[in-house]
Amino acid sequence: MSRNPNHRGHSAAIAVLATLVAGAVWMSAVSSAARQQPTAHTAGSINGTATAHLHLVKPNGSQLDEEGPVTGALPGSMSAVVYTGKVLTGNFTIHTHGGSIYGTGRAAAHGTGRYQSFSGTLTITGGSSRYSHAHGHAGLSGTFDRRTYALLIQTTGRFSY
Amino acid sequence: MACACLPTTAHAAQLAKLHVTFTPDRLGAATTVEFTIQIKAPADAIPSPLTALDMSYPGNLGITTSGLGLATCTETILEYFGAEGCPADSRMGQGSALAEIPIGPAIERETAEVAIFRTPERNGQLSILFYANAPSPISAQAVLPGQLLPEPDQGHLTIEVPLIASLPGGPNVAIIRLHATLGPRGLTYYERIHNKLISYHPNGILLPDHCPHGGFPFTASLTFEDQSHTSASTTVPCTIPHRRSGRTSPVSTRAAGPRVSMPS
Repeated sequence: MSRNPNHRGHSAAIAVLATLVAGAVWMSAVSSAARQQPTAHTAGSINGTATAHLHLVKPNGSQLDEEGPVTGALPGSMSAVVYTGKVLTGNFTIHTHGGSIYGTGRAAAHGTGRYQSFSGTLTITGGSSRYSHAHGHAGLSGTFDRRTYALLIQTTGRFSY
Repeated sequence: MACACLPTTAHAAQLAKLHVTFTPDRLGAATTVEFTIQIKAPADAIPSPLTALDMSYPGNLGITTSGLGLATCTETILEYFGAEGCPADSRMGQGSALAEIPIGPAIERETAEVAIFRTPERNGQLSILFYANAPSPISAQAVLPGQLLPEPDQGHLTIEVPLIASLPGGPNVAIIRLHATLGPRGLTYYERIHNKLISYHPNGILLPDHCPHGGFPFTASLTFEDQSHTSASTTVPCTIPHRRSGRTSPVSTRAAGPRVSMPS
């Protein structure tokens, strides 16, 4: 089987073009990252800050079922089951257009007034659709309103999917 | 001679009895937890003075979500101004303590009013103060520091009880009954909304929706001046709404009722 020199030249041209396009896209992503936060640095990771304002849906003893909107790096909504005590622990799901992200959180609470502050870590354990392979860790902080049970949660970090 | 006038205070081993109730007693509701601990020594002797109490409670009680203790009070304020000196929003409960006081050959009984306040955290733990105020026959006030230690499986309420001398050189006062509530019953809190001070009742201790197997177990472990220990347990049975009549009916009462345990 003989090779067509014209075909070889065509393939080389496509390779060069693809490299240039890829480079341009990468440059665009880098410059985009420099301009705005949060930013999708690659197709498989998100780096930034997400903020959730949760309100009580249903109390159940020391367990609170909460939900509310999420803004920032992962816009959407969050539902969470929070176990209250000296240490706040819980499971959460963030619902976005691209799919859902699941995880757990653990934070130590401080303060004696109406608003307790807390800080700890958040672990992303999985997801669905686009985020079916989501995993990662993030910092976790916020406040808990002991009068209304409202939670303000802020997470900062990076996760892959 | 002074010693001859004092009654015998040789302490036998103490027995304790614990009784706990919820008001309202309804699954899923916010409630007030009421507990009574009775201490008795055999043969009507005076019990050894109580020095510490550790009461365990079910971890699924919403203690930290009770909305109680949104302000704090301090030992100094209580000592100088009494319970009235503390912010209303720092009060978490109330009750009474009955003590036996040897005076001469007689044994007097005295009741003290008890108020429970939130205080700044100690060692990073949710801390409280029991303030006991006894007007007569001996006027005495005492501040008992304590902590609430909520844990997922089992929480603890701990109280340190200082020794209080009945008379100079005399034996210490012995508490024989402690009754207290932890919850919104009888409490009024205040919040400022649009520059107006609005009164409200705090939420209360949230009970879970579902009945834990066997009910809600409580155990009081007591330590006395004579270094002895004893404990008492009880279980609050669950009540569920009766669908037809709207009344409540008890379920899972097998372990209900106070139990007395022998001292260790």
